Amino acid sequence: MVTSAPPGATFLPRERFDALLDLLREGGRTVIGPMLRDGAVMLDEIATAADLPAGWRDEQAPGHYRLSDGHGPRLFDVVNGPQSWKQLTFPPRLPVATARREEAGGASFAPVPPDPPRLAFLGVRACELAALRVQDRVLAGGTYVDEDYRARREAAIVVAVECTRAGATCFCASMGTGPEVRSGHDLVLTEVDDGFVVSAGSPAGDRLLARLPGPRATAAQIAAASGAVAATRAAMGDDAVATEGLRDRLMDKLDSPRWAEVADRCLACANCTMVCPTCFCTSTNVHSDLDGTVNVAEREWDSCFNVGFAKVAGGNFRPNRSERYRQWLTHKFATWYDQFGTSGCVGCGRCVTWCPVGIDVREELAAIAPPAIPVGRTPPRPAAATTGRFDVATLREVHAETDDTRTLRLTPGDPALLGGLPGQFVMVEQPGFPAFPISASRYGSEDLFLTVRGAGPATAAVLATPIGGEVGLRGPLGRPWPIDRALGRDVVVAAGGIGLAPLRPLIDALLADRDRFGSILLAYGARTPADQLFRDELASWATHGIEVVQIVDRSGPGWSGRVGVVTNLLDQRDFARRPSVAFVCGPERMMQATTRVLRDGGIPAERVFVSLERHMECGIGLCGHCQMGPFFICKDGPVFSLAELGDLFAREGI
Amino acid sequence: MAAQRPPRVGVVKLASCDGCQLTILDLEDELIAIGQRFDLVEFPEATSRRSSGPYDVLLVEGSVSTPEQLERIVELRARSKLLVTIGACATAGGIQALRNWSSEPEWRASVYPRPEEVESLATATPVAEHVTVDAELRGCPIDGRQLLELLTALRLGRRPQLPDEAVCDECKRLGRVCVLVASDMPCLGPVTATGCGALCPGYARGCYACFGPKDAANTASLASWIGKDRSPAAVDRLFAGFTGYAPAFREQSRRAIAAMQPAPRRRHPKGEAS
Amino acid sequence: MHGTGGATREDGASHEHGGLHFEVGQLTRVEGEGSLDLRVAADGTVAAQLRIFEAPRYFERLVIGRTPDEVLDIVARICGICPVAYQMSAVHAFEDLFEVPIDAAVRALRRLMYCGEWIESHSLHIFLLHAPDFLGYPSALEMAHDHLELVGRGLAIKKLGNRIVGILGGRAIHPVSVRVGGFSRAPRAHDLDELRAPLQAAIADAEETVRWAASLDTPRSDREPRLVSLRHPSEYPMSDGRIVSSDGIDLAPSDWGRAFHEEQVPWSHALQSRAADGVPYLLGPTARVALAGDRLHPIARAALDATGISPEELRRNVFRSIVARSVELLHALAEASDIVAAYEPPAKPYAPWKPRAGIAAWATEAPRGLLFQRYRVDAAGKVRAAQIVPPTSQNQAAIEHDLALFAPAVLDLPHEEATGRLEQLIRSYDPCISCATHFLDVRIDRDR
Repeated sequence: MVTSAPPGATFLPRERFDALLDLLREGGRTVIGPMLRDGAVMLDEIATAADLPAGWRDEQAPGHYRLSDGHGPRLFDVVNGPQSWKQLTFPPRLPVATARREEAGGASFAPVPPDPPRLAFLGVRACELAALRVQDRVLAGGTYVDEDYRARREAAIVVAVECTRAGATCFCASMGTGPEVRSGHDLVLTEVDDGFVVSAGSPAGDRLLARLPGPRATAAQIAAASGAVAATRAAMGDDAVATEGLRDRLMDKLDSPRWAEVADRCLACANCTMVCPTCFCTSTNVHSDLDGTVNVAEREWDSCFNVGFAKVAGGNFRPNRSERYRQWLTHKFATWYDQFGTSGCVGCGRCVTWCPVGIDVREELAAIAPPAIPVGRTPPRPAAATTGRFDVATLREVHAETDDTRTLRLTPGDPALLGGLPGQFVMVEQPGFPAFPISASRYGSEDLFLTVRGAGPATAAVLATPIGGEVGLRGPLGRPWPIDRALGRDVVVAAGGIGLAPLRPLIDALLADRDRFGSILLAYGARTPADQLFRDELASWATHGIEVVQIVDRSGPGWSGRVGVVTNLLDQRDFARRPSVAFVCGPERMMQATTRVLRDGGIPAERVFVSLERHMECGIGLCGHCQMGPFFICKDGPVFSLAELGDLFAREGI
Repeated sequence: MAAQRPPRVGVVKLASCDGCQLTILDLEDELIAIGQRFDLVEFPEATSRRSSGPYDVLLVEGSVSTPEQLERIVELRARSKLLVTIGACATAGGIQALRNWSSEPEWRASVYPRPEEVESLATATPVAEHVTVDAELRGCPIDGRQLLELLTALRLGRRPQLPDEAVCDECKRLGRVCVLVASDMPCLGPVTATGCGALCPGYARGCYACFGPKDAANTASLASWIGKDRSPAAVDRLFAGFTGYAPAFREQSRRAIAAMQPAPRRRHPKGEAS
Repeated sequence: MHGTGGATREDGASHEHGGLHFEVGQLTRVEGEGSLDLRVAADGTVAAQLRIFEAPRYFERLVIGRTPDEVLDIVARICGICPVAYQMSAVHAFEDLFEVPIDAAVRALRRLMYCGEWIESHSLHIFLLHAPDFLGYPSALEMAHDHLELVGRGLAIKKLGNRIVGILGGRAIHPVSVRVGGFSRAPRAHDLDELRAPLQAAIADAEETVRWAASLDTPRSDREPRLVSLRHPSEYPMSDGRIVSSDGIDLAPSDWGRAFHEEQVPWSHALQSRAADGVPYLLGPTARVALAGDRLHPIARAALDATGISPEELRRNVFRSIVARSVELLHALAEASDIVAAYEPPAKPYAPWKPRAGIAAWATEAPRGLLFQRYRVDAAGKVRAAQIVPPTSQNQAAIEHDLALFAPAVLDLPHEEATGRLEQLIRSYDPCISCATHFLDVRIDRDR
């Protein structure tokens, strides 16, 4: 990933941040930046570095925002708050003109001339720079120009900050606007352990940078900065919104039943448009004195969600919430392209976080205008996909999980096998035996872990392979667990028996990004205590932010826990309290019972995922063995949402 | 305009706290100018001048809650060119309208030792349920700026600019932090009409709907979201406030009142049973 | 005029049932609706009944099943003129029951808020409602033609009182920030700065107002009222202290019911309060100045002393209440100024609390006098029963008593003049109409 920090960047130690503020304030400029207020980070005047939210972090989810402190010395770990820079470039209220009635019945009219404050915007994120570009295009890039906006833009210095953390509602990478800062800034800071790598993006920025005290940034500092931004991109993923062809897909769905469904939840409260950094609709009110002598026209933010917005004398063009929501979404993501040649969305995530009822624009877009291929990180190209071609992997270690189940650590010859995703599987073959599918139970940096139960001759042969021996692997194959659907939500992982194995890489991934998810519950059922997989790790997960609950069908030596089935662990819980996602794997009857309980507990079918097991030979949808209704389990699955499966899931004989 | 005679204005009250008409007297900077431009022919709270009409404009505070008020509002309507209701009582029934779901004689008996001597209707209802209303100012109490806008518009002959949008619009314009999203406080702002200046979120508490439901208020969706962490009774009670009798809040209010009814018991005067 | 009138209302007096029926139009420049019924016996003795027709709103029932914080919002709506008083009596009652520790800075803010309401309410009454009686105008608006400076001064002071409540509570009428334990949000130190200069100016204006009120020509009136107010060891009575009377009552603010009770009279929608012996008592500025005048702010005390009006005159002449009210207006401004000058924001705007079952009761001093509230609360903190005793329903019996004494002196005057004098007398008590009362008509029945 490329960040903007050129080799000539300056390093600003964190304790000398005030030097930058002093520089920005020269000539009477006021610095505006992120400051804590009333439980959020708001834009306010920054007098010293102490005003910045050092050590604070945000937790964001649909309809949810919380701050916590004590996360170290960093000044810019909190990403976007509810206010965008639109607050300053395009104020919520602005007197625009004065009309006077003169004594002899005459009238005079005068616009209010722009009088922009001299500001420095501190902490502008990449998505916000994109939003400013959109505003530049909308308000100052056409035939008619908002003079006040243009004056405010010209009067401001823009100090960008690259994101080294992403909020769970952020999706700039999907919209192609961040997290790397590329243009539109005067200065850009990237925060690293001891301070900031600072570079310039404009002649004005060059002049400031030349006067900023501090050593040149070292290669290591620059690498750390770009590494941190790259990690942010990787953690965020770039597939929250499938932008390819989105305009046409959306405009094709003006009659989607989903509009009515989202209108059932939508409050038409206009919060999404108020926090959106590109929404620019306004209305003008006239404030008159009692005699109507002096009349000041004042422009204020308005919203297409408000009843009066599309009203004319004869009625309202959009009387219903569904029509207003459709207007907003299609304008932002479709007709904006027609008008301004760009998307109206920059992926800042504010409309998701600050929707009072947690409507997630990413989810609505996926539901209304799904991409041709399902949303989800595009699986890597398999190391070897063609039937009959296998990569050779070396067995390094065998770990006995239970009497009949072993976890194999294998080093594949082709590292592409290590780029698989949780929930994907490989076809395993040994000379002389038929190939069989096994889900990866962990991706290591050099090794692939497969957990195999000796159920027949082929699996027994694999388990009998000596250390240092070789097996054939083909994959990774199939559709992975859609982890992005769990961002910002509570997560339920339900496993039965060996079904825990395909879920372990999912748990690894959840833990790697722990603060991007809500609560995580692992409910694990096994036949007996001796049949539990990964016993040591169960305890470890419980101390790393996962609630682990266990149950066995039959008790055994040393077992003091619950006896019963997995559903017993779940049926008293209320999953409707917060948006939740469930991932379920185990025997099919266990999955049917478990998913029923999860659905009853309030998780919608679109957010309950199962991994199906079928006879597979090719693993790439060519042999027909695993067909179920319209699906080939191997390539369309093995992971499905209940909504995708519909009544196929519970039906026998399909 | 100056040549015309000043409009004859009346200010009267039904069942109410007087706070809305006090808002007129609280326009301290404009009061004298208002007095010069409007002929306040009837405003018992402020002047001993009296007039039984006709009025060019009549501002009516309070809800209809006695037989006498019911008669009176019909008479007043007939004597008024424009009738404007002011405040939550007149426009939505007010807090006293919550009795509309219970047994009024029983309520009367719980407050008065000799209930038969008290004249009261079984319900307290908004003025518009009885007579045609030309305009309304909402709020508990009304907002002084909206009142001034109404008076100005009346004088200039234009339509008053009164927003019909959520409290949230104003809350965001004023740069306030959403107490629902950031602090999980129950807030009715998203379903409530603005006009107060998003007061409560600015004072770190949830909106309690003084201005009543906004257009197309999606009460059910907000209630279900707030209800994720709260009992249904607690959610219903949020709506059973000063505009709880407004149609969009009525169902929740009705349930809340039913849940709050104490078990029947023998009563001492004033409902004090201990 | 409105509704209830008989044929006699416009011309004022008639003969009915062998007695003189004397009627006056609706009482104005007070808040509320009711009437006055005077029955003059053949021997000249007069019985007065205040008929209060203010529509019942059942507040004591509306709060049942509610949480304490909901109660604070609801009881404010009893009165648009003194919502803070209703919130203060209630919040103190709950905090007393739940034993909530209140930060000193929060206590000061509460007092500042109450000062704001006193300033607003007293200036409303002095300048807009009462002054026209003394200067001979139907309203302050007409009075402004000739006395613009006086009305302007009053409006400026009133605006400042509203501003104080507005800063602390969001708005002057039905403020939103009071909660059990403190405030939902406390002002930052500089939020109060805007009050400093206007308070200084208003103090000077209020000193002038005391002089002006003392100079007003008042009708003669002489009676020895039984007076009741709070009294505090060091503060002028507002939200703390003990309930005392001019004849020796001395009770905790939660124990109002031990000396007083409410009763219903057939002619009124407001319950009347009486002491155990049935003798009426008087609340409000006159009572407070008489019982706690030694606790006045030195500025207010000095202004009162400078008037030269004796304590007896102030106490015994009901028409002098405008002087007592002006002195209290000055006191509230001076105290507000002190609080603003010393203000440091509290560490936390409110203290946490846990409900518990029991009786929550407290009395504070509303602008018009002692306001008592009592709630029976269950273990979950929900109100199970309520009693709210506004000052005007307590003053009602005293007003009737004083009217009966005063009426013979005016009944022989021309009707309009008699009406004006009776109304002026009633206005002297600053009856809070929506709290308990509004007086509609004055009716006089005279036995021949």
